[in-house]
Amino acid sequence: MILTPPILARLVATVVGGVLLQLSFFSQVALFHVSPDVLPSLVVVLGLFGGTLTGAVCGFSVGLLLDCLLIAPLGGASLVLLATGYLAGLFRERFEIHSPLVPPLLCMGLTFFAELGFGAVELMLGLNDASISTLVIRDLLLKSIFAFFLGWAIYALLRRVLRPALVEEPTARPPSRRRPSRRPLRSSRGRRPRTMGA
Amino acid sequence: MYRKQVRRRRAVLALLIVGSFALLSVTYGQGSDGVQRGVATIFSPIQSVADRALKPARDLVNWFDETFDAKGKNARLHAELEEAREQAVGVKAALAENAQLRKLVGLDESGAIPSGYDALTARVITRSPTVWFSDVTVDVGSGDGVEVGNPVVSGDGLVGHVAAVTGGSAKVTLIADHSSAVAAKIVPNGAQGILKPSVGDPGDMILEYLDTEKIVGKGQSVVTSGWRGEGIESRYPPNLPIGKVVEAALTEQEAQHQVHVEPFADLRNLDVVQVLTGGSRE
Repeated sequence: MILTPPILARLVATVVGGVLLQLSFFSQVALFHVSPDVLPSLVVVLGLFGGTLTGAVCGFSVGLLLDCLLIAPLGGASLVLLATGYLAGLFRERFEIHSPLVPPLLCMGLTFFAELGFGAVELMLGLNDASISTLVIRDLLLKSIFAFFLGWAIYALLRRVLRPALVEEPTARPPSRRRPSRRPLRSSRGRRPRTMGA
Repeated sequence: MYRKQVRRRRAVLALLIVGSFALLSVTYGQGSDGVQRGVATIFSPIQSVADRALKPARDLVNWFDETFDAKGKNARLHAELEEAREQAVGVKAALAENAQLRKLVGLDESGAIPSGYDALTARVITRSPTVWFSDVTVDVGSGDGVEVGNPVVSGDGLVGHVAAVTGGSAKVTLIADHSSAVAAKIVPNGAQGILKPSVGDPGDMILEYLDTEKIVGKGQSVVTSGWRGEGIESRYPPNLPIGKVVEAALTEQEAQHQVHVEPFADLRNLDVVQVLTGGSRE
């Protein structure tokens, strides 16, 4: 990813917009009693487009903003999401993305990883002696499945938003080559064949 | 050149990791610091606008979820309605008696809000996205008189307490959060215990450390006990409704001294709550 000031501004807007959308919309809706978590998918897609450094920095920023807005201890979400972004970036640097299914599958897997990570951070900080319901597993699995579909949409959307900065993405389509016509030229009437732009 | 890039990348990564741990160490258990207060103050109006703007879309998505849910609940609600009708007669008599007793002791409150408290209506503007935390942010803060520790209720019952506060917003830790523990008692038999959540399932809470001599039955109500001892007191005022006992197996009561409680408040779908401010338990 080629980082220029306009692209940086787009990245900041994406991060801020994503966090606000998560807190104001996704966290407050429930499908099958589970709220989708869009932030790990957002970080994964940014990591896939920008590599390890962009993924890690965006993950850290998303986590920090999230903790600030939730008035939670700073650093917990940053730690988890920076690891998520870094892993996504690492995947991009090590492997080719051959199939359009790869980004959503990666969003699904890394969302599961991130949700486990949030739990691990909470355990590290002391989960007290509260019992953990088995419904947590259902919650984690459903969040991951939601992330598959959300990842698809986010990948498509961010590819448009960040297109000028993407190295692999050409900014304009190459001129299409016309196939030569198989029909014989009707030269008997003396007409010259048409050519594009003539 | 490539090595230099790799080295720089590693340095940034190490810096971010160390920064995260440092922030975690510094801010854990501190409530809210200056940075958070500043960011929360800046974003609070934006969040409020976003919350209102996205409400129709949220309602639409939630409508689908609730429609699936409603089909299953229909039969159960019919049975509960029958039961409630039978109880209503008894409740009316108790209310009349209660009104007379209140007059006798000079109380003129309706009883919905504990004496000495003012109810401040607040809108939920954000909600924690992970299953491990049960926090919401409301659009009232220290500027409105909200203080850390204030109880928060909804129309149905106890919701949680204020854990941190900024100028225009406050973080409410719900009773379903793993850090929550509410001193509660069962009415009418008076058995007391500590109500703790089951992480990941806000509809199932566990009332622990019950007195085994008092047998608890399914359907009995649970309210805050509001105890006070030498220099310490419960965070919540007494008699705030919390929920009802949904599972009270005798074996579990005798062996583990606990029963299962379903909260009255729908902790997953909170829209408007009331912060009880200015409470004086004197």
